[in-house]
Amino acid sequence: MLAPYLLVFLAFVVYPITYGLWLARHPASYVALYNDPVFARAVVNTLIFLIVGINVKMLIALFLSGFFVQSRTWIRWLSVLFILPWAVPSIPTILSVRFMFNPEWGVINNLIFKFTAEDGPNWLNDPAIGLTLAILVHIWKSLPFWTLILMTGRLAISNDMFEAADVDGASWWQKFRFITWPSMQTLYLTCTLLSMIWTLGDFNSVYLLTGGGPADLTHVLSTLGIRYLRLDQLDLAMASIVCAMPLVLPLVYFMMKRLSR
Amino acid sequence: MITKGTRALVFATAASSLLLGAVPAFAQQSITVWFSKGFYKSEDESLLAAIKKFEDKTKIKVELSQYAIQDMIPKTVAALDSGTPPDVAYADTYDVQASGKWAYEGKLEDITDILQPMMDKFAPNTVETAFLMNGQTKKKGYYGFPLKQQSMHVEIWSDMLQQAGFKLDDIPKDWKGYWSFWCDKVQPAYRKATGSRAYGVGQPMGVESTDSLQSFYTFIDAYNVKLVDDDGKLTVDDPKVKEGLVGALRDYTDTYIKGCTPPSSTTWKDPDNNVAFHNRSIIMTHNFTISIAAKWFEDSQNQTLTPEQRAAGKKAYEETIVTASFPNKPDGTPIKYRSDVKTGMIFAQSKNKAGAREFVKFLLEEENLQPYVEGALGRWFPVTKAGQASPFWQADKHRKAVYTQFMGGTTPFDFTKNYKFTILNNENVWAKAMNRVVSEKVPVEKAVDELIARIKEIAG
Repeated sequence: MLAPYLLVFLAFVVYPITYGLWLARHPASYVALYNDPVFARAVVNTLIFLIVGINVKMLIALFLSGFFVQSRTWIRWLSVLFILPWAVPSIPTILSVRFMFNPEWGVINNLIFKFTAEDGPNWLNDPAIGLTLAILVHIWKSLPFWTLILMTGRLAISNDMFEAADVDGASWWQKFRFITWPSMQTLYLTCTLLSMIWTLGDFNSVYLLTGGGPADLTHVLSTLGIRYLRLDQLDLAMASIVCAMPLVLPLVYFMMKRLSR
Repeated sequence: MITKGTRALVFATAASSLLLGAVPAFAQQSITVWFSKGFYKSEDESLLAAIKKFEDKTKIKVELSQYAIQDMIPKTVAALDSGTPPDVAYADTYDVQASGKWAYEGKLEDITDILQPMMDKFAPNTVETAFLMNGQTKKKGYYGFPLKQQSMHVEIWSDMLQQAGFKLDDIPKDWKGYWSFWCDKVQPAYRKATGSRAYGVGQPMGVESTDSLQSFYTFIDAYNVKLVDDDGKLTVDDPKVKEGLVGALRDYTDTYIKGCTPPSSTTWKDPDNNVAFHNRSIIMTHNFTISIAAKWFEDSQNQTLTPEQRAAGKKAYEETIVTASFPNKPDGTPIKYRSDVKTGMIFAQSKNKAGAREFVKFLLEEENLQPYVEGALGRWFPVTKAGQASPFWQADKHRKAVYTQFMGGTTPFDFTKNYKFTILNNENVWAKAMNRVVSEKVPVEKAVDELIARIKEIAG
């Protein structure tokens, strides 16, 4: 009875990974990557994306989960709206953001021209702004999901503890520090780990917003592969993906370890 | 004694054998063909018509897949790697960005035997593009089939120019005056007159476009820069080459720095300057085909559009859009334009080479090639003498302008002399140099030094 599962596993997991590693087997590919300034830039961008994107997103999610967990009718309605960015497919939402920032006919620069008669900035032509916007899009898109997950964690905390804390005259900060956080820190760390794995593979935010541009300055590791493929350098494309392994594998290991507890 | 069961079994086996033996007779031969998608409907329809004719004639089924221009190379690379390339493929970007490299790597099929018998029908400076070096055999051969060619043109909205208070005769012929005219005179005057945010020039600068490199080459030519000699050897160590490149890059990027081209032109892909022109957000642009004008002609013929839309198409094509030439070089002499011959290919790994060869032969017959090229409404110029002599090219002012430009003589791109320039084009070092200047504020001289270093690294 194990045979069908094994076959599927071999066909869809083992074979693609092995084939990818086989394509990326040439040491010359890694030398070429090391010498390619675009790769170095992509590594830095990836680290910025991970450190800033994940921490900002998870902290805001933690804060918002405390807001949305309140049982008021208008907050419930608001939470439905809040879920929308996550529920809507990536392509239309991210392209909408891209269109908003279009320097000629985007809504932002149109407003600037309307009120100042001056052309607005070329937002996405600045690599710093481009990467910042990609991170913001990533946060905006995935924030509802993590807020929802952390909300479930908050809802699992017994109300008796908060009532007892109220009786003792605890402030909101003390309640968070001594009740909420200790109860949620395991969930928070697990979510952060999982989010790191997903963020590392987030292709859409950068590719759809900046396309890795201007002049390949906003690529991250997940979008670099397609760039090398376009340059007819498949071995470099695969090698660039393999380069993300040292980041991904420890994360997966810790993740599995936590989940198996 | 033979039982009923045994008899039935023998009969069934015999019937099965007969059926199996007959299978090859029923199986229809087929070939896989990949083509990049045309800019407008009639272009694709002309291809489909040629394919239908081929299928009817040969009974070979053509499995056609069409992809966006910028997707063709990544998809082909992936297909080549997995050992399943199409039998025949054509993309607008192959010749500029891939053919030379693939031929050198032995990935393409030598089709000299197909082209040799028809050599005399090709116009000068066309079929030579497909004569490439195979690094495996150390021999040159024809590793592609020429279908059509293109060259540089300028497209102008004459009515927008009039709104700015100028006439076509006001456009200067000298290099500096020409660019200053669009930037410093037309754009502010048009904005003042209309209150809109249109730009004087549409200057393609996207790394993912071929427009940017083709346009930049025209600027290089304006400064008499030769990057390679006739043997394909680099000449970039000549101080005059650097001087010319600095002039070309400075002029090219000044348009952006002065705010005379849409800011998004740094990320434009091939169709985007067309779109900007159609949207009237630019008054002029340089483009490597007359696809801009042809789009309006197609609108004028498109029965699915409203009469008003068709009338607007007719007016734009016949009256308001002008196909023009570049100004004279800074030294006062006219520019000799580059021509870019578009080639298709059969891959060494193609599964049905015989069928693929049949298809290529068929497509290159004048009665099939001419309708296919003319179906693009002037976007592409023929590579055959008969095609160029067709009345089609005398039918209106835009086509006449293309004809006149080609008849004036053209020169080939550097990748025809040194295949490594396809790698430089694919990487688009030209647009990267532009972006270094406009996005990262690197001085032009430094960007040119980097450009030369990269050219030497790859093509030296």
